[in-house]
Amino acid sequence: MDPMEVFKIEVTGEEEYGAKKYREIIMDILQDLGLIRSIGRLYVYVDITIPVFAVYGLLRSGIPPLTVKDVGDVMRVGGGHQIKINDEEHMADLLKALWKRYGRERVEQPARDVVIIASDTPPSDLMVTDMEAEFLQDLTDALVRIAPEGFRNRRNVMTKDSFFFIAAEESIKPELISEIEEKIREMENA
Amino acid sequence: MLEPVMFTGGLYKHDLVLELVEDLGGYILQKNVTQTEIILLLLVPSEDMNALEILSRELRGELVRAPLAGTEVAVVTPTLAIHHLPHVACDTAEYLRRHGSKTNMIGMARGVGREIAQINEYETALINEHDAAVFIFGNFGDCIKKKEQLYRNISVPVIVTGGPKMKKEDLPYAFGYVPSIGRMAHRTRKATEIATLDNIVEMVGRALDQTRAAITKDPLTTSPPRVMDAVREQVPEVEFSYSPLPIALNLNGVRVKLPYQLYKDKLAAVTFDEGVRLGEVATIRPSRMKDYILVRILPSSETGFVF
Repeated sequence: MDPMEVFKIEVTGEEEYGAKKYREIIMDILQDLGLIRSIGRLYVYVDITIPVFAVYGLLRSGIPPLTVKDVGDVMRVGGGHQIKINDEEHMADLLKALWKRYGRERVEQPARDVVIIASDTPPSDLMVTDMEAEFLQDLTDALVRIAPEGFRNRRNVMTKDSFFFIAAEESIKPELISEIEEKIREMENA
Repeated sequence: MLEPVMFTGGLYKHDLVLELVEDLGGYILQKNVTQTEIILLLLVPSEDMNALEILSRELRGELVRAPLAGTEVAVVTPTLAIHHLPHVACDTAEYLRRHGSKTNMIGMARGVGREIAQINEYETALINEHDAAVFIFGNFGDCIKKKEQLYRNISVPVIVTGGPKMKKEDLPYAFGYVPSIGRMAHRTRKATEIATLDNIVEMVGRALDQTRAAITKDPLTTSPPRVMDAVREQVPEVEFSYSPLPIALNLNGVRVKLPYQLYKDKLAAVTFDEGVRLGEVATIRPSRMKDYILVRILPSSETGFVF
């Protein structure tokens, strides 16, 4: 079963096998990169006679940025605040953010999972990392991996809630873009 | 007739196997030690097979037929990028290795795309040094048809693999086509996928049999394993080569992994028991692979004798 609401793939010519296999490849790659839950609808259009490969997707609601209280517990201690880290994955980003806000001399790490800040303002709402930017980076990586390798001319338009990716062997002309947009609209309305 | 087999067992007492094979007049093609395990690729006279089977049972080893032993197969992908590797190409290469062949993976510089795919003279020559080549293509039938130009000039049998089913007449330059193994992003683990790998091995085996049959019509002056044995004995430096297989066997010769300029004369001077020198019965030339030496044994029609 697809975890996405809509996942349509259309390939021109007698390429049913290719369509079926590309469906598997897309699912495998999105699953590998942990992106599958963030994509709501996906439309893939391939015309092998041109040849061109296009993907249009709608994203699920935005991902909030990761703050200090998401990665650890903040407590008031004598002389400042202590953060007990629960999720070590973002440790590097956390330290970077704390150094930037408070300065290196006021951030101390007495143990692997404990950081003490010599400051009266609690760091709870300080942003550790922008998850959305990371997600968009991963998504671009996934699209480049999914598209057949020879399709080196690429165009990728990303908005807050959608992305539109075209890859082709020859240069991408405006007529081609509008033609593909038309095809994808047809797929959406079908 | 010599039978190609693979022995897998413990390192302990494996020298008994080596001794027996030598006593029987067989050849040791490859010896791979992995910690306490050993994998031996052997050529054993078929009438004495029983003796080896008994010994391997005593040593609790496993003896299986390796139909591709003594051959070198190229597994060619359009490039070495993530789109083609690791799953399909590596699994195919590994599966061929399990059946005894020496497999080399070759990624082309500009093999990608439908209209823009190219192969150059060097790549063609390198693939031609093998006994057979497996070209790994993708999921679109149209592209597989168009990419024919990549292997049109290759003189060794070419086995094409790809996703969709294709008609034989669509690929006139290929020896055979194995469907249902196009591009994929997961490991080959399902029974159907393994069966496809079996089909590739079977097809490669058939291609090699065809080459063997062609060779028997004009037999080689001497057999490649014999050349290997003589080189190993008379050019001891070959044992110090860092390559896992210092002398790779082909159906019509061997590749010796030593620098060409330094060792070509020493190799030509290798003498057989009959008094014949290797330089008289084979051409010795630089291989396209690194700085290695390529030995191609001449057929009896050129030398006038077989020994």
